This record gives sequence, C-alpha cells and structure tokens, in this order.
Amino acid sequence: MIFRDFGMDTASMAGPLEAKLAAVRRAGFSQVMISATEIVGHPGGVEAGIRAVRASGLAVTGLEMLRDFEGLDGHLHAYKVDVAKSMLELCQELRGRLLIVEASTSSHANTDPDAIVRDLRALAILAIPKRVRIAYKGVSWSRTASDFSSAGEFVLRANCRNLGLAIDAFDILAEKIPLDDIDAIDPEQIFLVQLSDFRWQAVYSMATNAAHDTRFRVFPGEGAHSDDLSTFVNRLDTLGYDGVYSFDVYNDDYQQMPPDLVAGRARRAAEWLEETVLRRALPVPNMQGLRRSTSD
Amino acid sequence: MTNVLEHEAVPNDGLNPLGISGIEFIEFATSKPQALGGVLEKLGFRPIARHRSREVELYRQGSMNIVVNSQPADLPHTVHPAETPVLSAFALRVRDAEAAFQRVRDMGAWEIPVRARAMELNVPAIHGAGESLIYFVDRYDEFSIYDIDFHAIPSVETKPAAIGDLHFFGIVQYIGADRTADWVWFYSQLFGFMPLPDSVRFGIMPRGLLLQSPCRSFFLQLIEPEDSARFAAMDEHLQRIGFGTPDVLSTVALLEKRGIEFLTSEKVHTNDRGALTKPCLGSVMFELVHDESRIHPAPQ
Repeated sequence: MIFRDFGMDTASMAGPLEAKLAAVRRAGFSQVMISATEIVGHPGGVEAGIRAVRASGLAVTGLEMLRDFEGLDGHLHAYKVDVAKSMLELCQELRGRLLIVEASTSSHANTDPDAIVRDLRALAILAIPKRVRIAYKGVSWSRTASDFSSAGEFVLRANCRNLGLAIDAFDILAEKIPLDDIDAIDPEQIFLVQLSDFRWQAVYSMATNAAHDTRFRVFPGEGAHSDDLSTFVNRLDTLGYDGVYSFDVYNDDYQQMPPDLVAGRARRAAEWLEETVLRRALPVPNMQGLRRSTSD
Repeated sequence: MTNVLEHEAVPNDGLNPLGISGIEFIEFATSKPQALGGVLEKLGFRPIARHRSREVELYRQGSMNIVVNSQPADLPHTVHPAETPVLSAFALRVRDAEAAFQRVRDMGAWEIPVRARAMELNVPAIHGAGESLIYFVDRYDEFSIYDIDFHAIPSVETKPAAIGDLHFFGIVQYIGADRTADWVWFYSQLFGFMPLPDSVRFGIMPRGLLLQSPCRSFFLQLIEPEDSARFAAMDEHLQRIGFGTPDVLSTVALLEKRGIEFLTSEKVHTNDRGALTKPCLGSVMFELVHDESRIHPAPQ
C-alpha cells in the first residue's frame, strides 16, 4: 500500500538522511517533510543532501522551518529576509512547494498587525518566483499568532493566494482551541495539517513548557488522544480539506530507535487514519509516481 | 534631462505606482548570438551598437530595442542545449528606476546583484519568471542607457523604421499548473498590472490570462500547461515576444519575403487577427497581433 494523503517528517527519525528517506519509502509513504537542518547539515554538504532527497523518489511535502520572521525592523528585518531567501532557494532546489513559517516567538518582534501582514505579504511575494507556497503556523508561545485561529486572521488579512495555514493538531490537544474555530477557515487556505498524538492524558501547554513539545509527541493513534484526533481529522475532512496530513512527531525514544521501526509506527498511524478514522477505501496506487511517470 | 516632462506625464497614482511607461528593451541570452541576430534581422531589426566591454549587442527597429546577451555568466543554467536562445529579461521604463526598485524590493521582490546584469550602468533588476529578470530603466528617449554602455556600430542607421509598424505588444510567459493567481498577484501588487476579463482576446492564440500594463501600452500573457501536460516537469519562463502591427496580413507577407516562416497548421495559422512564426533555433517564436492602437511615426 502507498499512502497518498499522509507523510512523514525526517525530524521524527535519527540517523543519516539517506537511511531516513529509505525507511520512509519502505514504510509505504510517497512524501516526506524535510527539515532544512537535514540538508544543510548533511555530511557530504548541501548538494549531497539535495541529491539524496531527489534520488529518494519521495515527493517533498515541504521545507521547515522559518522562524521569527515577521514583525522585525531595520537590520533585523533585512537579516531575516536573507534567511527566508536562503530557505526558499533550498525549497526550490528540493522541488518542494511549501515552506513552513512559524509565528514569531521573538521578544523583538513588533506585534502590530499591520506590520505582520506587511511582512507576510512580502514573504509570499518572495516565494512566488520560486514556485513556493507559504504555510503560516501559530505557535502557542508566540506573541503574534498563538494558534491556527489567530494565524488564520493574519492569513485572511494578507489575502495572498500563496499564503495559507499550517494547522497543528497540537493546538487542539494541548491548547484546547475550540474545534468550531476550524469551521471559520476556508479549506483552500489550509496548506498543511500536522498531526501528532501525546503520550500522556494531561497535555502540558507549550506556553508553560516548550520542552514538552519536543519530547512526548507520538504518532496518531499511539497516544492518549486518539478520539480527539479522530474528531479533528473528520472535521477537516468534512470541511473539504483534501491536502496532506504530515506527522509532526518528535520524541526522545524515536531518536534511539532504528528509522525503519519508527517508520513502521508511522505506517500503522497512516493505516489507522485511513481505515478507521477516515474510513477511506483502499487508496489508489501512488499518484505521485503516476504523475512523475507521465511527465517523463 | 530632456524627458522630465514626459516622465511626469505618466500618472503617479495607485494605478501606476512605479510610473511605468512601456518596455525599454527585451533581452535574449544565447551562446550563439550570430544565429539569433540573423533571425532578428529577418524580422527587420538592425544591429545598432555593441557593448563596450561585454558580449552584448543592441538591435533595433522602430520603437523596439532587443538586447542579445552572450556573456557566458549570463546564460541560463536550466536550458539545454545552452545555445538555445531564451528570453532572459525585459526592461520597464519607469519614472525613477532606483525608487521603483526599492519599492518592489521592500514588497518582496528578489534583487539581482549588479554583476549578473547585462548593463554596466546601474540598471536595477529583480527576479522574474524562472531565470529571467525585470530591469527598471528611467533614462530613455534622447539620453539613453545605450549611450553609456554601448558603442554605436559605425555607419548604421541608429533609428531604422519598423517593418509594418511593428511594436512591442506583449510577452508570453509560460507558468506552472495552477499558478495563474500567484503571477497575477505578483504583477498586480508589484507593478500595477491589471488582469483582463477572459472575453478580451488578441491575436490567434486563445489560451491564457492577459495582464495589461498600468500604462496600458503592452500586455503580459500567462499560460498554464494544457491538461495533458499539467504534471510535466517544466520550468516557468518567458516564451515569446508578441509584436503589434496594424495590418497582420501585409506584415506577414513582408516578413515572409525576408525569410520568416509562419505556422500554417489547422489549429494555428495566419489570419487578420494574428500569426505565429515557426520555431527556430530550438524554440524561438514570435507572435504577430493585430493592433492599431499605436501606429508609430517613422523616426525623422
């Protein structure tokens, strides 16, 4: 079986990039979210990292993560524009079409909505010639947009076709953002949905302890919040979201397990979502592969 | 400067924030400049000047300037074979080039480092489609950028009349699937281009979205791949120049006598609304479009 609607994230696994990509592919995924650090930190250099991704046969869901971009002034702004350009170029080299941008957590960031909208618009225009879309993501300890709902307001105000949202299920689980808020969002504006479960019943808010974010996330269906996730995914499906669900999972345990075992867990999560949650028929064969083959 | 008045005549309002006033030149990049020059001469262009220090030539007819750039460093990296000429840039006439450049850069345009440009004079430029550039020029008319960067070729007519009143009508840009809205946003936000309704059509090529320049003197046409090619790997690029002419049929006849061949397929063939040349040198094509709006007086 090849999963069309679900993707893994290289950050979920340990080991060399090539081993991660191979594990993702063996587990039946057709796409993968790439962390810029994986490419830039490749022991063979950036070019080797790019070649590894292109050779993997996997489509690139997107590139992460541009941080603390919006709301800066003067030389800080110019510096971040340079960082953004570098990530957009990398994204294009990887043939990725999406850059994830987290709402700023910088204490230097201006929280004036006009300034934020202006910066997001400029970022969206920067991305156009590179054929990249910008997925803006709320972060619970951000001063500008703490969840998908407030990020969505900026996206709406900026009103650029290639600027949309990345929605993290964690907003629902940890921050208890009302699920009804999703209905206020145009599904066309949702560029990516990131899914993870949480091992414990009590989810620490990221605002109280950002460290929890990186340590206890598990694949959907593996944690204590399967029902909430199931409701969340069905709600998005009903809304008309037909994009990718990317598993945004990091934890210390997976960093000590072989990538194939981690990818196997991701596969079970995808099967659970597909068959039990979304109750979809068996997926059609790998659409990405078909697209590629018709183009050659 | 002699053209101050004319610059100020360009409306400085929200509809034309940069004071755009037409296309100053269109640039090709190719490693085989003589071959392309031959084609341009058949179309009625004349080599006018050579760059002082670079492998760059200026061709002209009527109001149109075409720059042929064969600097090795400026040749596109993604086009194969490398000798296939590509449309590598167009230059917008604007009220104040530096101000225009700073404005669009602040809005999210990519600036191009000076060393990568065909001109030595500081002609600011930004990234356009694919590997192409968009320049901003504010010196035109009597005192021009060519006076500084170029040596005139001795004993040539520097203002040759245009065959059939040919003038720049527009540029066709091939874009990726579902990319029309992105590029409409790009051109309308940065430059003030206006998308035209689908009912407005020029020439014989039916597809694509038309954007009118804020000065209303030329068009950009955005064309997405046909359904069958939606997933083909294609880099976005500037594909061809459209020339306006008040009488397509007689201009086609004049150009055919000079050795230009036009497509005669069932789907695409010459009529009084327009014509399309057969591709040459790989994929170089030109389009003729019926346009009576700008009949240019012959230069004195």
